[in-house]
Amino acid sequence: MSTVKINGKEVTVKDGTLILDAARDAGFEIPTFCYQADLMGVGSCRMCLVEIEGQKKLQPSCITPVLHGMSIHTETPTVMSARASMLEFLLANHALDCPVCDKGGECELQDMVYKYGPHKGRHAEPKFKFQEKDYVLSPVIIKNSNRCVQCMKCVRVCGEVVGANVLGALGRGDHQEETSFLRSFLDCDQDGNCIEVCPVGCFMRLPYRYKTRPWDLKGKDTVCPYCATGCRMVIEERDGIVIRAKAQLGVGLNSETLCARGRFGFDFINSPERLTKPLVKRFGTLEPASWEEALGVIKDNFIAAGKNIGGIASARLTDEELYLFQKLFRSMLGSPNIDSSARWAPEAVEGFIKATGMDEGGASAFDCMESDTVLITGTHLSDENPVTDYIVRRISAGRAMNLVIASPRAMKLDSSASQIVRHNAAAEGHLLDAVTLSVYGGNVDKLRDVPGINRIKDARQDDLAGKAGCSADDIKAIARKLTGEGSVGLFAGTEFLRYPGSIPGLALLKNALKALGKKVTIIPVLDRANQRGAWEMGVHPGFGPGYSPVKERGMGCADMLEAASSGELQALYVVQSDIVAMHPDENFVRGALSGLKFLVVQDCFMSETARLANVVLPASSFAEKDGILTNQEGRAQIIRKLLPPPVKAKRDIDIIRAVGETFDRSFGPKNPVLVLDEIRKEVGMYGEVSLAFNNKRNVDNKLDLKEALVKPAGLAEGLNASGLETKLEPKTDEHPFLLATGNHLFHSGRLSRKSPTLIGLLKNAIVEISAEDASALGLMNGDKVRIKGRYYEAYATLHTRSGSKGGVAFIAENYDDVPVNRFFRRGEGVPRVSITKA
Amino acid sequence: MSGKERLNIFELIKKVVFTDFVKGLSITLGYNVRGSMTLKYPDQEKWIPYKRFRGLHTLNRDENGRELCVACELCSKACPTQCITVIPMEDDTGRGISDRVAKVWKVDLVRCLFCGYCEDACPTRAVRLGRDYELACSDSSCNLKQREELLVPQSVPESFEGGVVAASTFEASPAGLRVKADLTKTKKRPW
Repeated sequence: MSTVKINGKEVTVKDGTLILDAARDAGFEIPTFCYQADLMGVGSCRMCLVEIEGQKKLQPSCITPVLHGMSIHTETPTVMSARASMLEFLLANHALDCPVCDKGGECELQDMVYKYGPHKGRHAEPKFKFQEKDYVLSPVIIKNSNRCVQCMKCVRVCGEVVGANVLGALGRGDHQEETSFLRSFLDCDQDGNCIEVCPVGCFMRLPYRYKTRPWDLKGKDTVCPYCATGCRMVIEERDGIVIRAKAQLGVGLNSETLCARGRFGFDFINSPERLTKPLVKRFGTLEPASWEEALGVIKDNFIAAGKNIGGIASARLTDEELYLFQKLFRSMLGSPNIDSSARWAPEAVEGFIKATGMDEGGASAFDCMESDTVLITGTHLSDENPVTDYIVRRISAGRAMNLVIASPRAMKLDSSASQIVRHNAAAEGHLLDAVTLSVYGGNVDKLRDVPGINRIKDARQDDLAGKAGCSADDIKAIARKLTGEGSVGLFAGTEFLRYPGSIPGLALLKNALKALGKKVTIIPVLDRANQRGAWEMGVHPGFGPGYSPVKERGMGCADMLEAASSGELQALYVVQSDIVAMHPDENFVRGALSGLKFLVVQDCFMSETARLANVVLPASSFAEKDGILTNQEGRAQIIRKLLPPPVKAKRDIDIIRAVGETFDRSFGPKNPVLVLDEIRKEVGMYGEVSLAFNNKRNVDNKLDLKEALVKPAGLAEGLNASGLETKLEPKTDEHPFLLATGNHLFHSGRLSRKSPTLIGLLKNAIVEISAEDASALGLMNGDKVRIKGRYYEAYATLHTRSGSKGGVAFIAENYDDVPVNRFFRRGEGVPRVSITKA
Repeated sequence: MSGKERLNIFELIKKVVFTDFVKGLSITLGYNVRGSMTLKYPDQEKWIPYKRFRGLHTLNRDENGRELCVACELCSKACPTQCITVIPMEDDTGRGISDRVAKVWKVDLVRCLFCGYCEDACPTRAVRLGRDYELACSDSSCNLKQREELLVPQSVPESFEGGVVAASTFEASPAGLRVKADLTKTKKRPW
């Protein structure tokens, strides 16, 4: 500890604390441009100069650590005049086109000059200009270097947080320009974090360009609706049109960072394709109808269907809506058939919940990153959950730890890893089994009683490693890291749900490490905003709210469709889920849905599923409702309503309640707040969850709000995790690639395909294979290729990735032009495809 | 005592020669010989206000005909009655002096109190309160003035000194009533 005097006030801080942090903690304000808590200090802007007694020159406080006994002055006339002079120099060449600049009104330079600056400049010379016109840097970024203050935040955030490393500085001194290599068009993650950190109007959003002034905007705090990282953001509207989404410094776990989807993908809200009134099918066509008529038709048909009814709700709805949805089915319609995923088997979900310990309450990703060894497996983290990737990159760079990444596909995060393992696709289980076996080899006594160890005890290491497709040395190295000193963190992704045969391997590894007395923190990495909330609200055929056991086990999505095609299930209520596009084997889904007597679809858009419906109800987007979303860590976070639903559309919670009220007037609770009260009462996990959050810009970056994590459920005994296996089509010479799927970096499900900006980033489908495979086939990046499976073929653009494991072709699930689920055939496992030049 | 007496004599003389009466009558007679002060508005004469007058808003162009307005919205921010709405857009075809131009610039004259804060706030001197003051109409449609209308130069150019009475003609057409002033035929104000 060091004791220093700041402006005469004595404070005691940790050794090595920066003067800036110490002064801010002591309540003194020091202006900065280039300082940001997460980024490496560069001390380039010189706004934070302070006077230290005994030193002749002023010192930059953002890179000078305190020394015991220092006496620091932050508000002397010398310091004030230094600040004013710095600003005068910045303004010497600053464009001063504030009336035109998009940042005008929220510009840090404006604020700073207003507060500290000289209100008259003495530089009469013509200003230096980098360029006459703003230039477009990417489909979403436009740049005007004349306004630059050389703080280098954009370059640092691009390299240190995003890991894209596409920005750098050209030139020296005040002719230094932060831009792409030779100002070329950027081919990067397009996440716009450079825009968010820029204190002036140098990097700007292209879709937001010249639309408004910041003071015209009305904003509400919300949570990104795409992946389950749960990034806090603010969406802002003018005249009923949402025109900006931004993240705030020190607010939420993401702080200022967002990915391309979050920052630019909100504009589906304004889409002209939104459904605005209820539609009822008459003589084969869907025609507009009133709410009364639509609800009347629903009531008649639900009564006719009796208990032979099922419900599928999207994992993007709020917790309140999902709770009411399961209540509607379980207590009003008397049917146990509900599910929240069109993609995953209910048993796999139960196994995954058990293996990742989601029933043991929430776990913070920051805590997980505090572990000494972190293993990331079963997810392409950089593409699926970009902001989780930023957190991992930032924290792993700042401390000594092991980061092991096991994935068949190369990813951006690999550069941060201490060990990278490329295993075969769908072989996560074999890899983890091999690791566990290696751990077992050295600790037979301690691990003898671990449940499930008998499954692998007698296996041969070489066999398992061979199945996983990696070398025994790699596996030994992982095992050595996991069994070394300290705690273990695991990020386990959706591949485990896609290939359920891997789940026992995950569970076994966790149990084995726990048996060795290690602290194991597991973060499930999910890809739908409220997937975890959907499970915790009991929208699952196998368990109720808070993972409580159910009296009667219902049917999951696949079973419901099976029952529908055999005529057993008569009615289906689908809320914001596009099962035709998402369930493996599209033809089977279409056949099954046509076998239904009655299909109700409640959605924002005319999805493929909605086209088959008897009644379509117009629902609302995340900007049009209040509620809470639970992210992958189990953090419950509030979203707030910014706009009313368009025309006659309604909030999903109102629609679900209205459907319930046609049977019983007292169905409720009547509004989201009362539903939340009921959730708090009924679901123990949510009883004491704090929904408060700090939405003020917060320079300390205290991001980890642990009170928001859900509590342990302690009820998960009833989870049925049996019968987990991964089925793959047998490998043939005709179809050498195993088809992997997931989300593309710019898209999440089919919802993001309604966003014009995201479509602008990636319009047509791409198929990704490793660069080695491509060169063996004589194909090049960007070639048009034909992808042929046993049941479907399609054309797409080839994207090659160097460093990926061979034999895997990746097609994201997002494209409507190449619906990846058509390659699948029910009961035949993960398909294999061939790729040839078109 | 003598002073008091003298005063009385002075008063007496005033009364004998009707001084007050003549004084009053001279003002009355003066009006008889001076011309009429009534402005023959609208059919013969029209008052052209001084430069400082604050009438209907006008949006100016530069010497090359480009719009000066950069749609910075400072006028609408400065407006105490919030009667100005500005929506910007991008247009780099040379319509305006910058690539940021106004898509919408409208003012609600019913709410406007002609305080002139908008022209003070304007960084490019694009918005000025001009010298058109005949704003009355028989329905509320004319209360909302749009950009297109305001960009048309007003009848009194900014360089014109004002503070004079101009000869005018009164035109009643189906399009409305108009008082057209002839700025070449002006005379000093008669008062």
